[in-house]
Amino acid sequence: MNSFFLAWIVLVPFISSILLGSMYLYSISVKKIPNSVFTFLAVLSPLISFILGVLFFIGLENGASDYIYEPYTWLQVNGYIISMGFLGDRLSIFMVLFITFIGLMIHIYATGYMKGDEGYGKFFSYFNLFIASMLLLVLANSPIIMFIGWEGVGLCSYLLIGFYFTEPLNVVAGNKAFIVNRVGDLGFLIGLIFLFFYVGKLGFDYGALEEYVSIVPNHILTIIGIALFVGAMGKSAQIPLYVWLPDAMAGPTPVSALIHAATMVTAGVYMVARFHFLYDLIPNVGLFIAYIGAFSALFAAVIAMKQTDIKKILAYSTISQLGYMFIAVGLGFYSTGLFHVFTHAFFKALLFMGAGAVIIALHHEQNIFKMGGLRKKLPLVYTVMLIATLSISGIPPFSGFFSKDEILLKAYSHHEYLIYAIGLFTAALTAYYMFRLFFVTFYGKNYKEHHMQSISWSIKAPLVVLAFGAAFAGFMGLPDVFGGENLIDGWLNMWSGKALHVEYSVEYILMAISVIAGLLGILVSFLKFYRYDFNQKIQESGVVYNKFYIDEIYNFLFVRSLQKLSVFISVVVDDGIIDKTVMSLSNGFINLGRIIGRMQCANTRAYAFFMLVGLSSFSLYLILKLG
Amino acid sequence: MDIGLLSFIIFLPLIVSFVLLVLPVGMKTTRNIAFATTIVVFLLSLSIFFNFQLTDYMQFREFHPWITSYGIYYSLGVDGFSMIILMLITTLIPLGYIFLWKTKKAKGYWASMLLIQTGVTGALLSLDLILFYFFWESMLLPVFMIIGIYGTGDRIFSTLKITIYTIMGSLFMLVSILYLGVAFYNEFGVWSFQLSDLVQITTLSNIQRTFLFFGFMIAFAIKIPIFPFHTWLMQTYSNSPTGGVFILSAIMAKLGIYGIVRFVLPLFPHQYVEFAPYFVGLGVFGLIYFGIAALMQQNIKRMFAYSSASHLAFITAGIFSLNIYGMTGAAFLIVAHAMATGGLFLLVGTIEHDLGIRSISGLGGIAKKAPFLTVAFALMLFSIVGLPGTNGFVSELLIVMGLFQYNQYIGIISASTVLVAASFMFWLFQRAILVKTDNDVSKMKDLDKKEIVGIFSLAAVIMAMGIYPHWFLYKIAPTIQHYLVDILKVGVAS
Amino acid sequence: MIEASFMSYIALALVLFSLGIIGLISRKNIFIIYMSLELMLNAINLMLVTLSKYFGSMDGQIIAMMVIAIAASEAVIFLSLIVAMYRLKKSVNIDDFDTLKQKGTL
Repeated sequence: MNSFFLAWIVLVPFISSILLGSMYLYSISVKKIPNSVFTFLAVLSPLISFILGVLFFIGLENGASDYIYEPYTWLQVNGYIISMGFLGDRLSIFMVLFITFIGLMIHIYATGYMKGDEGYGKFFSYFNLFIASMLLLVLANSPIIMFIGWEGVGLCSYLLIGFYFTEPLNVVAGNKAFIVNRVGDLGFLIGLIFLFFYVGKLGFDYGALEEYVSIVPNHILTIIGIALFVGAMGKSAQIPLYVWLPDAMAGPTPVSALIHAATMVTAGVYMVARFHFLYDLIPNVGLFIAYIGAFSALFAAVIAMKQTDIKKILAYSTISQLGYMFIAVGLGFYSTGLFHVFTHAFFKALLFMGAGAVIIALHHEQNIFKMGGLRKKLPLVYTVMLIATLSISGIPPFSGFFSKDEILLKAYSHHEYLIYAIGLFTAALTAYYMFRLFFVTFYGKNYKEHHMQSISWSIKAPLVVLAFGAAFAGFMGLPDVFGGENLIDGWLNMWSGKALHVEYSVEYILMAISVIAGLLGILVSFLKFYRYDFNQKIQESGVVYNKFYIDEIYNFLFVRSLQKLSVFISVVVDDGIIDKTVMSLSNGFINLGRIIGRMQCANTRAYAFFMLVGLSSFSLYLILKLG
Repeated sequence: MDIGLLSFIIFLPLIVSFVLLVLPVGMKTTRNIAFATTIVVFLLSLSIFFNFQLTDYMQFREFHPWITSYGIYYSLGVDGFSMIILMLITTLIPLGYIFLWKTKKAKGYWASMLLIQTGVTGALLSLDLILFYFFWESMLLPVFMIIGIYGTGDRIFSTLKITIYTIMGSLFMLVSILYLGVAFYNEFGVWSFQLSDLVQITTLSNIQRTFLFFGFMIAFAIKIPIFPFHTWLMQTYSNSPTGGVFILSAIMAKLGIYGIVRFVLPLFPHQYVEFAPYFVGLGVFGLIYFGIAALMQQNIKRMFAYSSASHLAFITAGIFSLNIYGMTGAAFLIVAHAMATGGLFLLVGTIEHDLGIRSISGLGGIAKKAPFLTVAFALMLFSIVGLPGTNGFVSELLIVMGLFQYNQYIGIISASTVLVAASFMFWLFQRAILVKTDNDVSKMKDLDKKEIVGIFSLAAVIMAMGIYPHWFLYKIAPTIQHYLVDILKVGVAS
Repeated sequence: MIEASFMSYIALALVLFSLGIIGLISRKNIFIIYMSLELMLNAINLMLVTLSKYFGSMDGQIIAMMVIAIAASEAVIFLSLIVAMYRLKKSVNIDDFDTLKQKGTL
């Protein structure tokens, strides 16, 4: 496989996005273009990228070394060269595969979901742009180029959240997402610049960085590690920058599935894995990351227990699952984290798409307490949702079990018992709130009869495909204890460095514990919600329901105070002090002129008097001077 | 007497403008001929760009005696730094014409626009200080007329304010120029105001030089404007017609920066280095200060005034960062910001022309009526907020790197640039363009074909500069290296 | 004797001049002002003639003659101007002629 085609993995969706965008503009302003044209282009580009990805995968499998393609010098300053470089190694091709595959599925799904929408072409233009940016993010060979993709996905997220931009709430959510992400990006940028000045001058691609990173003094490495992780906090919605993700659910459901669940939010995990050579040197920062992950997982799970909006629940569960991934990568088990990224992409995309199907069928109803009893009406959706819910709850043999259990196992074996305990507890909570969603949506009694809208095959087909993935993807990472071989670990073998040292017996026990925790959660949920009575009034108040008032606190601390400061600056300081000073200078001249102008009083006798005084004083001066 | 390419570029608009004013032609003819003139100038400047040698010398030199008894010469030249600004000016002005096309203004408006072009290119290319001063002041006159005659609101007051304020600043510069000339005469026995001669003065003491340094800096600081000389800007911007504010923001403000690099830097290298910390501080402070102030502005143009001030402060910090990253970034941001902000002002001008509204609360829901305008607006906005893939990102990255090299803490603070512009720009975009409100925007028309071609080619250049910045940057590298190594003697990256 | 009379001529000229100035400044009637002016001119004439006699040079007397001639022609213009001004404002009060006064504020 020629490494030249690496660039085309990114370029194809990018070009397709521009084409779609121009066609859309043409379509709304000049002549209508049929949706089928948009559909064709939109689905074609992730397909091509996927095929290219598979070809590279085969190449690497056959023992080819990492593909590197550097078409041109992006920037050269002071003799240091930053190339527009693409890197196709095992990690990036792994990411490419699942991004393009899930992306393709969601594209197909979206053709059904967005059918009849007037922004059809625009939607797919953004979607393709997102795919392109995400692929650039993972394929970049230099942190700076990665940053281009990194911000690109943030931009697409903004555009897609505010897709129905005439509604203020959507745009506000988009802005919030963008700004909060930018706070993270600020950290990321600072990390990059530190990295450049301390080691990047020797070469600013990953290969060179990995080679020379050891020359950086340790305290600087710590700063870099934390700064980069701040970027990950923003993108992957971890405490304290998670606030944008629940609001981001304002976007159309395929967006939530693709961007805010399966791919973009995992960019932070990917970034930590990509910089594994750096984080390996600073285990303290790694531990910090793991703790942030653990607390995010717990915190989000607690909030999710009380939410009523189906997409919000899933959003919080995404934050929670991302927390698990950060536990893994923080502790140095990068392939484990990526394994969870992989399985999570399947079951979370599936959950969102299932939720989307429900929402469509119910004419855009999102409150789960207004659904109920959908099991009979939507048998297919019911089945796939069950699979996905079991998977996220960590019930074997569904995929989530393997990946989540491996994370917990590694936390345990690493003697991080607090993290393990939090993870285990969160697993129980996860099972609880996910089955709460499931039972309330599909079972219950006294629910209202709904008028259903039919769901097209283009929505159903991807659901089935992903359901297979959610069910069986876990077997790709079958632990030794079951005599399996961890394919993901094997594929990403170059730095699965830390060996596991627990007995099989311990491993069995731990597995049993986590399964029991999951089942416990399901049991509680079953008792509470299986026969949920829809006449019951749900309580919509309390600290947890209001998400611990974090939004309000942030709003008060940052937004309000900045707005006040802004008014203060422009009204008091600028207009009041600085401009007053400037104008008082010129007013001083004017006033002086006014005073002198009074002497011109048009009284001839006064003029004569002034003349007399002037002449006399001049004469006096001459007499005194000349004597 | 042979006339060089640069003279053509400078004086063609002037001659055309006079001829048009004298001849009894209508507004339309004036406009069309003026536009054709700017296109010709653009083509001429393109030939400069492609024939530009990769060195740090002044190129395309022209040298004729002007007022010989006082050693004042008509002396022109272009180096890497002025070349990119020349390209910027000659590219942006025709674009401005396209957008001002339908504003049914009088003949004098178009003639003034041509005069401005002569003024700015003249100031940009002159290497004799008196000649520079001549052009520097002469570009103010047409602006005075454009704002005073075609402006809105309290336009007379605004013009008086900008004119008197900037002239007052320029007077300090004039005194400094004359002082330098006299010092040169005392030392060498001949008169000269050539930049290359004046830099050889050795007799001035440090204190004298410091005074002269600030004499120049006041003039440029008012023009840019640097905090706290900025208050004229907000008022002028909000009362100017689109053309005036376009010229002011996209071109004239940049000439202030250019003046610092062209004259202050070689004339007072010691003071430049000595006072650099204060200007870096002022720049970074201004970046955040103006950024915050922009947040709550109600008038779009006033908000953009603050936004421009914020970016210009950042550019100022960049040129005083004393290393190649910051200087290169500043040069690049001059171009990037001029393009983006110029484009934005033109688009806002279109909105104002159609709706007659310039307060944010009076707009909203334009996106549905004018999709092309919205897309163009968004693209310009992305460059302003420094989104990767646009030239704004490259330049901001380089300046942040430069400031980081200068001082780590300053660098970290200045990285907040990624937040500052984003916070108010996206909010503005939301309120003014996207969200549907009760306001009546039915009179809003989308861009016409001409405008679409113009603005999207600008957007394409913005993107190209973000995706392949090296191709645009390598020509200025020798010049900046020359400034840093030979003149300031601080090395490319200390 | 000649000294004493010289000083008295000078003193008389000064007194006349001062009277002229006081009249010029304090009186409002244009005619009186004109007469004060004439008084001042004649005081100067007196001074010139006295000094001419004292220094034994004819220059002063020549200038005095010229002054008288010019004053005579000036009188014509002045009086006709006064008539014109009277037609304009129906007044010979100098304070009524304040066209140059600054009206309003800057």
